[in-house]
Amino acid sequence: MPFFAAGELVTVSIKAEPLFSIGPFTFTNSMVGALLASAVLLLVAWYFTRRSTLVPSRFQALLEFPIDWMTSIVRDSGGSRWRGFVTLILTFFLLILVANYLGLFPGVGTIGLVHHAETGDELVPFVRSAAADLNFTLGLAIVSFVTFIWWGIRVNGVGNYLKEFLGEPRYMAPLMAPIHVISELSRLISLSMRLFGNVFAGEVLLATMLALVPIAVPTVFIGLELIFGFVQALVFALLAMTYITLAIAEHAHHDEHESPHADLAASEGTGHTPPAAEAA
Amino acid sequence: MTGNLAAGLAMGLGAIGPGIGLGIAVSKAMEALGRNPEASGAIFVPYVLGIALAEAVAIYALVVSLLLIFVK
Repeated sequence: MPFFAAGELVTVSIKAEPLFSIGPFTFTNSMVGALLASAVLLLVAWYFTRRSTLVPSRFQALLEFPIDWMTSIVRDSGGSRWRGFVTLILTFFLLILVANYLGLFPGVGTIGLVHHAETGDELVPFVRSAAADLNFTLGLAIVSFVTFIWWGIRVNGVGNYLKEFLGEPRYMAPLMAPIHVISELSRLISLSMRLFGNVFAGEVLLATMLALVPIAVPTVFIGLELIFGFVQALVFALLAMTYITLAIAEHAHHDEHESPHADLAASEGTGHTPPAAEAA
Repeated sequence: MTGNLAAGLAMGLGAIGPGIGLGIAVSKAMEALGRNPEASGAIFVPYVLGIALAEAVAIYALVVSLLLIFVK
């Protein structure tokens, strides 16, 4: 099922192409992309935790910036239990960001083997942007789905969690329960489809532009994809955070979550010297 | 052929609503930023979530049109 743009061999197929298979396990090119992204993250983390200093070097500051920034967002709007899931949100953000940016490198999606099929020649690239495969995004969405259900059960208890499905006037339960189940499941679908649709549409856009005007013009769209890659990683992480926060805050502790900036204001307050201390 | 036509129609018509929604969201966010530039941090997260949810509708249209093109 190749998508043919104007030129020859500029193909983006909707599913990842298999490279080789070991027994029943088929290895696809998007798995290479996902493993490369993980390897890059692991190597950078391993290297810079060995030689990190208290006063960061310029490159270390660059690496610390997204972590600091994302952590501050989760701290400000993740409720009082933000420490419990901040690492997961950070992992989503960094993995999707690195995977999206790896997909924009030259050679990714363009270097590969040409398969001669009856329908015509077809390029099977060695590496494919990981999020341009529904399996990757659905996997991440399932992780976030399980996490927010687990947090909802852990904080509110199984009974309260199931009561939430039945709705408030109990006689409406036969109507409300399926609606709640569907709305929970639609989060799974919309999380995975949003990331997949954006990255896949980006790949098709780049391939089409490359086939139409091979010189200079695709650069503009690469810049656009740089923005989209960042925004989609941020959106996935923020939505996962919001779903977890909602699952935690659904029943109990409404007063605690109504002002998400209460703890921020408190931490700012300690920074300044209180007037009373000055007077003393 | 009709599949491609349907895909184009699905994507084009499906992009109208999210386009309007995104325009409203961005204009209101810019208005809020203009009134109160210090609130940019507080505006940012709900803003990104809002545009993501508005955009999801366009992504559904994209998925439907991709299905129409690729699944015969």
